[in-house]
Amino acid sequence: MLLHKLQGNLHKFMALPAVLLFTFFFIYPLSRGITLSLTDWNGISKPDFVGLRNFVDFFHDSRALGDVRTTVLFALGSAPLLNIFGFLYALVLDRKFHGKNIVRIIVYLPAIISPLIMGYIWYYILQPERGFLSRLLQQAGMGSLNTNWLSDSNIVLWVLILVNVWQYVGMTMVIYLAGLQSIPVEMNEACKIDGAGYLAALRYVTIPLLAPAIKINVVTNIIGSLSVFEIIMALTDGGPGYSTESLSIYIMRMCYGSFTGYSTAVAIILFLIILIPVVLFLMFIKKREYEM
Amino acid sequence: MRLLRHCLILLMSLVSLLPFYALLIKATGSPGLDTGTSLNLLPGLYFGNLMEAWRYSAMGRSILNSAIITTGGITLVVLASSSAGYAIARFSNRFHRLVFNTFLFCMMIPPIIITVPLYILMRTIAGINSHWAMILVCGANAIPFSVFLYTSFIKSISREIEESAIVDGCTWFSAFWRITFPLLQPITAAVVIINGLGIWNNYAQAVFFLQSQSMRTIPLAISMFFQQYGAKWNLMAAAAMIGMAPAIVTFLVFQKYFIKGLAQGAVKG
Repeated sequence: MLLHKLQGNLHKFMALPAVLLFTFFFIYPLSRGITLSLTDWNGISKPDFVGLRNFVDFFHDSRALGDVRTTVLFALGSAPLLNIFGFLYALVLDRKFHGKNIVRIIVYLPAIISPLIMGYIWYYILQPERGFLSRLLQQAGMGSLNTNWLSDSNIVLWVLILVNVWQYVGMTMVIYLAGLQSIPVEMNEACKIDGAGYLAALRYVTIPLLAPAIKINVVTNIIGSLSVFEIIMALTDGGPGYSTESLSIYIMRMCYGSFTGYSTAVAIILFLIILIPVVLFLMFIKKREYEM
Repeated sequence: MRLLRHCLILLMSLVSLLPFYALLIKATGSPGLDTGTSLNLLPGLYFGNLMEAWRYSAMGRSILNSAIITTGGITLVVLASSSAGYAIARFSNRFHRLVFNTFLFCMMIPPIIITVPLYILMRTIAGINSHWAMILVCGANAIPFSVFLYTSFIKSISREIEESAIVDGCTWFSAFWRITFPLLQPITAAVVIINGLGIWNNYAQAVFFLQSQSMRTIPLAISMFFQQYGAKWNLMAAAAMIGMAPAIVTFLVFQKYFIKGLAQGAVKG
């Protein structure tokens, strides 16, 4: 009888496994991190409470501030370019043509591979003199374009951005394609009958109806770009100097060193840097959706 | 206009493929060819690099480790988040709303933020260098997004199918596993693909929690190999090719589900 009653009520506890797992391996460490960020813990001895000193120190830490700049610049280049190219790719591949499926598979292929491995491959391609790109340019008679792609501080950030865009454009594209295909064909036909040009139809019909795809792409690209890690590790290892070090690499290095408490404070700052643009964007798009 | 489009499509494909082609040339070229600045454009038929890289990198072991952790993590995520999604979608109460909103918020937190405290936790529970702990960590990371996907999908299915099963003597619990869960297949495909890739390619956490050589996953093995043999380009290219092969083969076999699954997840999300 008791067993029977238990079985009848089992559904009330169905969220528990997920909740417990997530609490133990995510919420608990997260809250522990917040308390640790208020200490001077070095990973070994007893942590002492230091209040907000780690956060104050952060604003006097020129390497950390440089990393914020690198991270933000990387995201400012990477997130918009991914969305623009992903959208254009989707527009080009949305129509029917022979071999459409194969092209989609090809464009999507880089996104399934570990960014670390892909980063190493680009590392070799971009080496001066012996690298594939350098030789290709020489053969094409454009050898004068060659430069030290990964150590010329004027362009290295752009190189990193482009490699990231190259890798994930397929991911963004697939989501835009799904959005495009959910738009009823009649919509576009109605536009044609009304005499609207291609660009006008794009502006007033396609883009507004793509709002859900735009939302998910922008949010994931902001989060992904601001927490960039593997691609930079593989391509420049943060160099030359610390000029391409991102905040997540810094966090990693600080906690390998003996600045454990400090590194958790930097992690919380990174979280805020990610949270602010995402929340602002979601508020913006909500307002637009409401108006429409 | 049409010609222009076809040229564009060709260019897009070339741009995506070129690095893979460069890799293939390097991996199958004999090391002797690598002198001078001439550009070799044809893949060779030299398999020495691949064999050497396989031996030096102990990649077999790493592929096995990656497979164990990915399979375990995905199974955990699918079971835990589908049932949580069911509870949240069907039995609305204050607890379930709180859980759902917490997950929604935590989707914005990249896991790298909690690395240090998580490392301390892993040490306390003796989870460093173990498959089970890495499975639990990867599973936990994937929970919020997966629950979100399942919840919105289950809400779009009529609850009458479960109610009629209950008339026939099922409990709400057994109705889910017998009736609803099989209907969730499209979203399960999305969850498996998105999280499978994430776990398979995980480096930022694996580098902390899987330190011993016998526990290395593929990304770890590749990065170690780079540090040791980075100067031997052919060898490194061969290792990278071996490292990416399982993912590429899986992708090509299931490509229909990959692209559909991802799109499905996006449209629902």
